[in-house]
Amino acid sequence: MLTRNRTVFTQLGTDAIEKGLADPQLSAFYDSMMSSSGLVSEKLREHMPYLSLCSDKITPLAPPPIFYVGRRASQRILFGEEWAMQHDEELRTPDPELEQASAEAYRYALEEQPYYGYARTRLNLGGKVVDIAFERLIVALRPTPTSERRFCAYFGVIQDLQQL
Amino acid sequence: MQMSPYFSSADYIHEHVQPEDKSLADLKREVDKHNLSEMWDMILTLDYEVNNVRELSRETREEFCGIVSLLLKAFSK
Repeated sequence: MLTRNRTVFTQLGTDAIEKGLADPQLSAFYDSMMSSSGLVSEKLREHMPYLSLCSDKITPLAPPPIFYVGRRASQRILFGEEWAMQHDEELRTPDPELEQASAEAYRYALEEQPYYGYARTRLNLGGKVVDIAFERLIVALRPTPTSERRFCAYFGVIQDLQQL
Repeated sequence: MQMSPYFSSADYIHEHVQPEDKSLADLKREVDKHNLSEMWDMILTLDYEVNNVRELSRETREEFCGIVSLLLKAFSK
């Protein structure tokens, strides 16, 4: 059972990145994607290890399913190797409340513009309760200019992680 | 292993190789069917830094196939 007492999901807006307030690696990813107009290019290569990628299939209750978790991605650090390597079912974060709270950010990234925000929440990870604070950037990308497909790239930075 | 004089060793397909290749071919067919070939190429070239999946080692190929399996689930449902 998930318990939490301090849950915050706040959109800061990409202005905060442009003002230099975001994590430097996250900022570098943002700059790179903006300079390629949201299209996949060679510039994406250096950021791949830090990204989680998911589709564009969104519902009001859940973000899109994940299909790729980079080797140094924050979700792999948080949820573990075993979670990241499973592929028998759709890959989703293991906390339904976190899923629901995250959905709006993906909708914004897909329908409006890149989403940058801060979150603090308490999670129960397999019986281990943690308090986590993280910043996250979600950008909708297209593999080629003519592609009908879009996907979301998630760059998360864990700022604080306390086991309770 | 004693090979038959009627076919060369190059024609021999190990029993464990054939199912893996078939599974890879099935995955690629599904990827093409769901219009996800660009995503396949993107992951292959940007993350694994090869142009053809057959350039990957067996272990890495299995990892890539796992990602493709998730890709299909993420887009096709």
